[in-house]
Amino acid sequence: MSRAVSEVVSPSSNEGEPASWARRLVGNQQFMLFVVFVAIFAFFTFNDSVFASVSEIGNNITDFSTLVLLAVGETFVIATGGIDLSVGGTSGFAGVVGAIAMEHLAPHGEWVVLGVGTLVCLGVGIGIGLINAVLMHYARLVPFVATLVTMGAAEGMSLVLTGGAPVGSNFGAITLTEPKISVFSYPDIIIILITVVAGLYLHYSKFGRYTFAIGSNSFAVRAVGVNVRRHLTWVYVLSGALAGLTGMFIYMRLGSGAPSAGVGTELVAIAAVVIGGARLTGGSAQLSGTVLGAMILTIVSSGLIIMNVSPNFNQVAVAILIALAATFQALRKGSRADV
Amino acid sequence: MTTTPESTSPLTPQNGVSVSGDSGVASSALLSLRGITKSFGAVEALKHVDLDIPAGQVTALIGDNGAGKSTLIKAIAGIYAPTSGEIYWEGRKVSMHTPRDAEDLGIATVYQDLALCDNLDIVQNMYLGHEESRRLTLDEIKMELNTKRVLSELSVSTVRSVRQLVGSLSGGQRQAIAVARAVMHESKLVIMDEPTAALGVSQTAQVLDLIKRLASRGIAVLVISHNLVDVFEVADRIAVMYLGTLVSSGPVANYDTASAVEIITTGGFQSDVAATVK
Repeated sequence: MSRAVSEVVSPSSNEGEPASWARRLVGNQQFMLFVVFVAIFAFFTFNDSVFASVSEIGNNITDFSTLVLLAVGETFVIATGGIDLSVGGTSGFAGVVGAIAMEHLAPHGEWVVLGVGTLVCLGVGIGIGLINAVLMHYARLVPFVATLVTMGAAEGMSLVLTGGAPVGSNFGAITLTEPKISVFSYPDIIIILITVVAGLYLHYSKFGRYTFAIGSNSFAVRAVGVNVRRHLTWVYVLSGALAGLTGMFIYMRLGSGAPSAGVGTELVAIAAVVIGGARLTGGSAQLSGTVLGAMILTIVSSGLIIMNVSPNFNQVAVAILIALAATFQALRKGSRADV
Repeated sequence: MTTTPESTSPLTPQNGVSVSGDSGVASSALLSLRGITKSFGAVEALKHVDLDIPAGQVTALIGDNGAGKSTLIKAIAGIYAPTSGEIYWEGRKVSMHTPRDAEDLGIATVYQDLALCDNLDIVQNMYLGHEESRRLTLDEIKMELNTKRVLSELSVSTVRSVRQLVGSLSGGQRQAIAVARAVMHESKLVIMDEPTAALGVSQTAQVLDLIKRLASRGIAVLVISHNLVDVFEVADRIAVMYLGTLVSSGPVANYDTASAVEIITTGGFQSDVAATVK
């Protein structure tokens, strides 16, 4: 017993060592992201004061709202060590199916239409999440392949259903995405609330704990008796459901179901998660980081437009941001591993 | 092998009694295996294994690579369901289909590859799968206090903070956490797969100490080890596997290093050591 007591403390950890304030702040990914966000915001505002105008901020928030739920779902998925490529396609497909359903419901009141439309979009998202889970658990596909399959299928089906043109025009819906409370529309507020709840759920619940644990060592989680398959199914269903809701939001924003609405957005969502400090190998993610990542990506793309940079450069800017974030993370991790 | 599954009538306490060629076990065996067979397709990884594991003692399971040790503990831990055979727990016949079933009985397994999550801290690992909740949120304070208590009970004093990530711990510390986890959940049987395999000298000594402390708390310990020095230091009983068969078992006093090595390598067929029955 005395042997255990007298053994020297582990040399491999630097936890608890007195770190200076500044160093701790710099080491805090969320703080650094916030600094970056403020810097980029200031840069664009300095270039053109329109950037800080109420209407432009409102636009940014709407853009943010179309992105953040995808990124939230993706955060859960990436925390398990998986990836969901289908969220963009799902949001587009859900919007299209919802739009067609709502067109048929048109004689009913606007709220019935929107309510049922939301449920349809949600249902489509959940369905695709379930298909992802089935492909992974029964067809034994890895998440990348399974969700690549559903991404392609969802995007293709959107085109099949619509013939490539927007369907189910509903200009009334657009007014719902206009700012009502300060710069926020009602859907914005719902989306922000969902994001907050999801963040609490990821970081403070058993479900969230298992989500990280599976990403860290799924065998360990299985060994303690947690049904890992069922848990992963829920994670992909959650991701799909949030993508479905995003589809409804895009529908409201555009006033119709656009087949190409979600194409490519999964990569922006994944970028937000990576910039937010998540490890793609799983086990480590911060929802607050994801939100900051989504905020940064949003203002970068709108800021470039205001600066009259061709929108074609948007993807380049996203790529550079990912490279910077990943490098920052790797360097930080490297310095820690040396200790 | 003397007992076929049919010959032991289930649900009677006497079933815990050793009826195999096993000599030293009293009727108090915590866990008894009878005729455990496990096939993977045409391959029989376990052939009619009979084994008794008494409480408060350290049983060492030894054998060469591929002898079936890991398969056997996975059967006990509920990872693999045996193809045939029976498992008696405290004299009652039980069947385990999932790791949770085994855990619910009080069987905890510390795997060779250490089933810990590097990205979670010590408290989170200790409570993985058994989190304490208070209303909607996790009761972190309670979990943290219990973790500290159990670690100090086991004299695991080398970790600085129970909120340290497990990935930052040394191999010995990780073993200690995995063992403390079993103790915290009041397991009656702790199975350890090569607990000292990746450890240095002083850490090995610590883990062996810990194993003895577990046994002195009345916990049955089943240790798989390749290291006969460790085995003879810590074990009360020895069970030797050879090509899927349990070829010999008995109190440690019946063996010495030479005889153990011979049984491990030859199955004990060339000599008399398998007949440790007095």
